[in-house]
Amino acid sequence: NWNCWRLQDATCAWFTLSSLLDILTCSTLSAARSQHSLFFLSHNLSSSSSHTYTYDPVNPCVLMECVPPCSDRPGFGEETPGVPLSSGPPTPLRAQTFSSFSPSKSYSRQSSSSDTELSLTPKTGMGSGGSAGKEAGPLKVFLRQQTQSALEQREYPFFTLTAFPPGFLLHVGGVVSARSVKLLDRIHNPDEPETRDAWWEEIRQEIKSHAKALGCHAVVGYSESTSICEEVCILSASGTAAILSSRFMQDGPLDVEHRLSRQPLCVFSTGSERVEGDMGSSASLGFEEVVSPGCGFCHIPYDELNIPFPAQLTYCYCCRRYKVPDVLFTTIDLPTEANVTGKGCLIQARLCRTKKKAQGEGNATAISNLLPFLEYELHTQLMNKLKLRGMNALFGLRIQISVGETMLLGLASATGVYLTALPSPGGIQITGKTPSDITYEQHISNMQKKINDTITKNKELYEINPPEVVEEIIGSPIPEPRQRSRLFRSHSESSDEVSELDLSHGKKDAFVLEIDDTDAVEDIHALLTDFSIPAGFYSCNTEIMPGIQNWTSAIQMFTSVRVFRLNTNLTNQGLNKIFSDLCENLLKSLYFKLRSMVPCCLCHLNFTVAIPEDELIQVAVTAVAMSFDKEQTLENGKQSGEKTLIKAITDEQLQFSLELNAETSSPNPLSSPKGLSDVGSHPSARASSVDYSSFADRCSSWIEQLKLKAHTIRRGSVKTTSSMEKASPLPEGRSRSLRSNRSYSGSSVAVVKMTPLSFIPGAKIIKYLGIINMFFIRETTSLREEGGVSGFLHTFIAEVFAMVRAHVAALGGNAVVSYSMKECVFMENPNKNQAQCLINVSGDAVIFVRESELELTSVQPQSATTQTSNGGEGT
Amino acid sequence: MSVELDVFVGNTTIMDKEVYQLWLNGYTVNDAVKFRIEGGVMEECEASAEVLLSDTMDQYRTFQMCERLLHHPAKLANQLLFQIPPDRQAMLIERYYAFDDSFVREVLGKKLSKGTKKDLDDVSLKTGITLKSCRRQFDNFKRVFKVVEELKGPLVENIRQHFLLPDQLAGDYAAIVFFANNRFETGKKKLLYLTFQDFAFCAGQLINNWTVGAVDNMMEDMDVDLDKEFLQDLKDLKILITDKDLLDQHKSLVCTALRGKTNVFNEMEANFKNLSRGLVNIAAKLINAKDVRDFFIDIVEKFIEPCRSDKWTSIDVNLYLTHYTNSVHILDTFKYHAVWTRYMGVIKSCILRMYHD
Repeated sequence: NWNCWRLQDATCAWFTLSSLLDILTCSTLSAARSQHSLFFLSHNLSSSSSHTYTYDPVNPCVLMECVPPCSDRPGFGEETPGVPLSSGPPTPLRAQTFSSFSPSKSYSRQSSSSDTELSLTPKTGMGSGGSAGKEAGPLKVFLRQQTQSALEQREYPFFTLTAFPPGFLLHVGGVVSARSVKLLDRIHNPDEPETRDAWWEEIRQEIKSHAKALGCHAVVGYSESTSICEEVCILSASGTAAILSSRFMQDGPLDVEHRLSRQPLCVFSTGSERVEGDMGSSASLGFEEVVSPGCGFCHIPYDELNIPFPAQLTYCYCCRRYKVPDVLFTTIDLPTEANVTGKGCLIQARLCRTKKKAQGEGNATAISNLLPFLEYELHTQLMNKLKLRGMNALFGLRIQISVGETMLLGLASATGVYLTALPSPGGIQITGKTPSDITYEQHISNMQKKINDTITKNKELYEINPPEVVEEIIGSPIPEPRQRSRLFRSHSESSDEVSELDLSHGKKDAFVLEIDDTDAVEDIHALLTDFSIPAGFYSCNTEIMPGIQNWTSAIQMFTSVRVFRLNTNLTNQGLNKIFSDLCENLLKSLYFKLRSMVPCCLCHLNFTVAIPEDELIQVAVTAVAMSFDKEQTLENGKQSGEKTLIKAITDEQLQFSLELNAETSSPNPLSSPKGLSDVGSHPSARASSVDYSSFADRCSSWIEQLKLKAHTIRRGSVKTTSSMEKASPLPEGRSRSLRSNRSYSGSSVAVVKMTPLSFIPGAKIIKYLGIINMFFIRETTSLREEGGVSGFLHTFIAEVFAMVRAHVAALGGNAVVSYSMKECVFMENPNKNQAQCLINVSGDAVIFVRESELELTSVQPQSATTQTSNGGEGT
Repeated sequence: MSVELDVFVGNTTIMDKEVYQLWLNGYTVNDAVKFRIEGGVMEECEASAEVLLSDTMDQYRTFQMCERLLHHPAKLANQLLFQIPPDRQAMLIERYYAFDDSFVREVLGKKLSKGTKKDLDDVSLKTGITLKSCRRQFDNFKRVFKVVEELKGPLVENIRQHFLLPDQLAGDYAAIVFFANNRFETGKKKLLYLTFQDFAFCAGQLINNWTVGAVDNMMEDMDVDLDKEFLQDLKDLKILITDKDLLDQHKSLVCTALRGKTNVFNEMEANFKNLSRGLVNIAAKLINAKDVRDFFIDIVEKFIEPCRSDKWTSIDVNLYLTHYTNSVHILDTFKYHAVWTRYMGVIKSCILRMYHD
């Protein structure tokens, strides 16, 4: 009795839609985790002197999204040779992936215009096109144009990746997002994708234009999502507007540059001063402005004189040459080369808004009208919480809007950090509206004091002690005593607040909170009573925490799900508080449960909210707790951290060596007994013999393969990876080390680690075995007997984990990286003693080896690394 | 407003030793939360009662899901559902099979039947151990009993292998199984002063010396039953008390050896015949199953009580028994030396253990 499949319209897309799409979606997201690899692919390719390289940069997305799933299929390329890449889909595959709703006549109410301004992160800063351009000379302009044109040939210059190799991200403009409310029941033939395609097309165009408005030609960290309730559907897309390096973008044989661009890679892999190498290569060419990589991406990409919104600009606190905004919001991971002061922390904005029950068009209108306010308030909360922590930038920003019959739910999660390049955030000042009352004044000054204390305390907690610098504020400088930011507060209900939004972003003194009603007081209280994180814990929703590097091997991945039943007739404030408490309590529980791992950091804290029923709120969290070594962090934190990252990256490089080996060494690469280590040790020899044109061919043939496979899979019911992976045995040396690994545990069950991150601390991933993408549906007709809903779901999730582990173990792997729970739909009918649950999880199966073991047992991969770097330095 | 559903699942199953103990002790979730709050875990970790409740519920659920695996500990290492590190597994098993001495004293030697299980609420009332915990412990006894009953080979080793228990605990279970199988009476008032560990020690002695497995490892029999042949042979020892000469000779040998070495020599001399008669009669009667049940009672009545009333110290008892045992070998007409050694070795160590000053 799935009356519940009211979600059908949405989910069916998601189900019926071919597994091809599933696989691609999955691979896309997996790719987003194992990003480095992709870029190193192109890096490697370009660094060779081969002129036969025909990889089409116009469609990098296609390539990128297909690499991981194919990582272990030696025969792949040979099966459909000669298919040029350009014959692949003309648009990035994401386009198809998401165009899964079938419409006929589209009814839409777009709230985009208002969204635009809101989502552009009002305080993001201003453009540099003019001034910066002049400074760098015509060459840079030329370069930018060239890059731009390369990107603009693409229909959507969007990247779902969230981390990039150093030097790739030149400038970051800020978050761009677009939402659209659609009615699903107006679609006449839901099986055809045209209408859905058109909907997404609109949204992507909007994103593209937002990026342009910010002076950017690309969008990175891009993602799309939907929320559906009955017939209403909210389509959302967001990303970070950015300018990307042309080095990675240009097509054609750019031998000189590419050969040089190899330098940073090589230096990088040895772990020495990669930063200088990178600078050296670009500087010597004069192709790009000489910027320190630690702050370059903060420099504004847009025209200072023609900013799309009012903002305060200062000269960069690192290089003192370029302008930076006062606050930066992004959806990507913190670039590894960024200069960060102190540590970061998870910042969440939570909001609940009631809505009248309505049908069809009226409902869509009501939602459309609420959305801008919702988004604005979320933004306000984020801003305030950021300032309260004394930080100035957000990474990994993810805003989820869920729609229910009687409410809208908004949850924004991000990782706050203090970017050294950006100015120190001002404090928060509260003012009363009616200054006549003395006790009231007293109250306000008390609150002000509390806020100030909290900021001081937080700065200590997160070790934010930026070097003292003389303030240089461009635009209208704010007098010192008044230089405080304003505690944003909006009243979505009142219209004059909206106009205030426009006015207050001018160059007058903003960031003042007027306490004019009890709600405001409550809000500030909420702000202050956001519980402080227990000692020894850190949290972030990005891959890794800035400032923490010495990870130990102890990791604990977990999933927690809570469903909260609401009373009817709650006010907005009441609802807000409940929702906020729900999230806070969930976090508190996590800290408590994981207290034995202290000091540790909860990484990749990924919250998912849903409104499964009218009075239910469901929050699901998947994250990993990783212990770190406190002592060492203090001593040589930065260095070792870089090492870890470098290792992670070189790991993924190996993934490609493997690929290329499969292609070149022989039709059956497994006949080479040494496997990948063999390849690794002769990189130069290999590079010269590789025919890259066939590589591009292979990419497109992969796509064909995937499609084919998707068809097969669609017919069957199993959605897991094919048996092809299983066919490939491990290279000898590896299997031995793995076996020893297993026997060590003393039981017949192999230990399989799971993590939502792309790496395993203290370990080296030596082989990627393919994607794990599994759907599970579980139903019970004896709910009470199984321990109620909690018992049912607990067992189910435990079993899902077990099945994933078993699957990975069967493939010969010992870990899952980039694990994520994409879907968790839970429905119950306690009266009938029934419940149903659907879960979709995915990740990459890998084989890893502990670094300590690696040093002991095999030296081959290491010598390979050294050789690579030697070769690189030689050129 | 209420939390409808609240679960936490880790890839490595998180289990708190403290909560596990509370669960094993049979406390309800709410009681467990109270205990934890009193334990001060809240101050330690800045948690609230709500967090504690949620955590406790989660853990209880996990334990419940694990319980069926714990019934067959070997399965715990081979199951896929929970990823538990080996040391944790060992802890889970050890604690699950741990029992309260006060509880085991109540059921030791009783038939592990449904009838006994029904009386557990009385036991629970008497010992202050929750009924739930009593049932778990009882079921553990029964389960171990059922498994090893049919197995051949050394009892302790069997238990250790099948239930992955540490040596000490495996030994204790062997004692429980042995007692249950032979239905030794342990609940009589006179025996109440004895602890479970006293009995476990005695059981160990009996298992190691009086069972079939004790003399012949190749025998396809088990450690649970006493060696019938040996019991039969014990009848021959009667000669020590029936033959007047032998008895007097024995007495004089012992008294000569003891003279001047103890303060209670007179009592020893006076009681010799009584005590010797007691011990030999116990031996001669062991062939009857009913008398096997009264083995410990007999020892207490026939030997320990008379000695105690005469204020012997354990040293005195030790001295007496040593000479009592050894002197027999000097008797010319006595032929059953092997049986005597096998019998008295056990009797001596049991009495010494059971003789509390």
